Amino acid sequence: MPTPPSPSNSDASSLAEILAAVEQGESIVHGSPDRQQIFRIFHRTVYTYGEKARRSTNEVRLTPKENPWQKVTFFLLTIRPATHVKQFRDLHGNNVHHFEITENHSRLVIEAQSIVRKTCKVDFEAFPYGSPMDALRECRRIDHCHEFLEPSHFIEVTPDIWRAAVDARGLSEDVFQTAYNIMTFVYKRFGYVPGATHVGTSAMEAFKAKSGVCQDFAHVMIAMCRALGIPARYVSGYLFDPAHDDLRGTQASHAWVEIFVLGRGGWFGLDPTNNKVVDEHYVSVATGRDYNDVSPARGTFFGGGAHRTLDVTVSVDRAE
Amino acid sequence: MLFDSYKTDGFFDEMFGNGGGDAPRDHYGQIWDRFSVMNDEELQGKKGALDRSFLVNGITFTVYSDNAGTERIFPFDPIPRIIPPSEWETVETGLIQRITALNLFLYDVYHEAKIVKDGIVPMDIIESAEHYRPEFKGLNLPNDVYIHICGTDLVRDDKGDYLVLEDNGRCPSGVSYVLENRAAMKRTFPRLYGNMNVRPVDDYPLQLLQTMRYVAPHGKTDPVCVVLTPGVYNSAYFEHTFLARQMGIELVEGRDLVAVDGHVYMRTTKGLVHVDVIYRRLDDDFLDPTVFRKDSMLGVPGIVEAYRRGNVALCNAIGAGVADDKVTYAYVPDMIRYYLDQDPILNNVPTYLAWREEDRKYILENMESLVVKAANESGGYGMIIGPKATKEEIATFRERVKATPRNYIAQPVVSLSRHPTVCENGKAEGRHVDLRPFVLYGDRVRVLPGGLTRVALRKGSLVVNSSQGGGSKDTWVLRSSLGES
Repeated sequence: MPTPPSPSNSDASSLAEILAAVEQGESIVHGSPDRQQIFRIFHRTVYTYGEKARRSTNEVRLTPKENPWQKVTFFLLTIRPATHVKQFRDLHGNNVHHFEITENHSRLVIEAQSIVRKTCKVDFEAFPYGSPMDALRECRRIDHCHEFLEPSHFIEVTPDIWRAAVDARGLSEDVFQTAYNIMTFVYKRFGYVPGATHVGTSAMEAFKAKSGVCQDFAHVMIAMCRALGIPARYVSGYLFDPAHDDLRGTQASHAWVEIFVLGRGGWFGLDPTNNKVVDEHYVSVATGRDYNDVSPARGTFFGGGAHRTLDVTVSVDRAE
Repeated sequence: MLFDSYKTDGFFDEMFGNGGGDAPRDHYGQIWDRFSVMNDEELQGKKGALDRSFLVNGITFTVYSDNAGTERIFPFDPIPRIIPPSEWETVETGLIQRITALNLFLYDVYHEAKIVKDGIVPMDIIESAEHYRPEFKGLNLPNDVYIHICGTDLVRDDKGDYLVLEDNGRCPSGVSYVLENRAAMKRTFPRLYGNMNVRPVDDYPLQLLQTMRYVAPHGKTDPVCVVLTPGVYNSAYFEHTFLARQMGIELVEGRDLVAVDGHVYMRTTKGLVHVDVIYRRLDDDFLDPTVFRKDSMLGVPGIVEAYRRGNVALCNAIGAGVADDKVTYAYVPDMIRYYLDQDPILNNVPTYLAWREEDRKYILENMESLVVKAANESGGYGMIIGPKATKEEIATFRERVKATPRNYIAQPVVSLSRHPTVCENGKAEGRHVDLRPFVLYGDRVRVLPGGLTRVALRKGSLVVNSSQGGGSKDTWVLRSSLGES
């Protein structure tokens, strides 16, 4: 089990320093520019309908995000049957494709392919320690943090979740350390059991069941972070497994958590399903309060019959 | 030595022009090192070895409308063309985007034609395209693929930007030369090749076979695939035999196939064998005398019925030619915006359509400075290059454009990039080149790294077609050092 370097006293900054850094737009950024990767990602979703479906309206969130650690050099979304496609940005800055299929169809194919250049935001030699738990109340006043402290569609803070969060925190006074402890807590106490939950399982249900898949791990960890006042958001994306060492979540799309570390560079990714700090092998696609904000494809249609199937293929490869 | 008196003459040169000067570009460093030290004797030795290997292997093509010896070796130039990884990424992604849009367009045209209803592409353009087959409207093809194999012709302008000259979505040829050129170059320059970290091309036949298998009817997992050739008199017959052999599947002529009750079978010494996927190197017109040209001796009566019933797949699909029509070509950027909501990564050459009244006027008035092409011809036939044409040729084309405006388009003369090419005097001189990459649309879209670089061997000529005296070069796409770690 990898243990992070623990925060030393010299890391701790005064609240004033932290707030000054926030004023400057979270300019403290670590990172390891030498850890570069280029990935080719292919994601195909096929819906088949027993009877003809018609008047289908859909929203798709499949474009990898652009940020200083992630450059999308190519993206292509193919919809079959062929139709007119339009894009827009949603509230959380995710890229959304919208399309309608008016004619009768028995199959809908959504194919996304991309080439992404990745580096790593977090510096593995120096984790973003030094943001004290005491300073968290400041987060409520920051616009883009507020909604990630509130309850959302799948996530509510129950007394049980709060109790577990306090236990997981231990004696930590540091935001990143606390979040790390929560990640490890979830990783150790929860069973990775595909099929134990479904796409509509809430954080509370998963918490009770003590098992689930990456979506549930992420939901529970977010709930625990929010319980302690750490802004936490849901990230959907892809995970490349460089050593084929049985990382969970590489077979399909993956999900993890980002927490806001005030004064230390903003959002950092933690993956409770694999107990890993997010590195250059993670490609983020969409962020939101929980799964409900980021689902890769959602829509409505008429007809289709009772017999429907869904087939998803995901591959992440290093580009030549 | 080889490059002693080399001049770029103001053209964009593939090899020289680093930082605006005359030095070789960085990615040509090793080529410069290797070729500039070569003496005449060594160079002639290498060239001789290359030519012999083509002759011995029978890598020839047939020139039509030439009564003398019609079989020729494809002239080959030993200096390879180098494409650095970042440049290739643009080409590759641009081609993936383009073939995707073309396949979506074809599906749409043969179904709801939404792009017409939304006023993006005019219906008469589609209906008047020579290769449009409205009788196949509503037919559903396996995985909705129309163009499985595409050979897109790219050129580079005076700034070095890649432009799409045309899409060949019916039966593009030339890929066998890519593979044979590479094999010959590896034998002749083993160390240079080994040192440069070039992306291989040899898995193309395997990928072509996978592309065919992907569209097998009824999701069959072990389909029988064949290559259908018009026969030994076709200009690309060598390629047909080459691909069939490389893929390990049968090469058949029309008379080897028989269609019975909506199924296609191949005659073998052990009786009839059911055929599932046909890579046909035969135009639509000749496929089936019962449906298309009655005088076709090359096709298979009844094959279209089997195709309609979904019992056999054809690569490329019948009617795919509506997308590589030179008038439809002008609308590809609009298709990319409509189906993908993106800007084209590779731009078209600006195109005037004689079909539009104002464009026609412009063409007729400026024919001396334009390239005028027939909309449905290929291989460099049926076109004139204004600045090089005689008065009579221009007059004839003027009449033709007036008579059938739908059939003609015009483009400004693009000053194609040049590449050092070994000439008869043993020196390198700049010759114009283009690039035909090959794209496969199967389970994934795959672009063969590189493609066929064609060279206009005559000094100053812009016509690179093999049937018009062009030659070829091997094209080396370099690996990025990053992706390998």
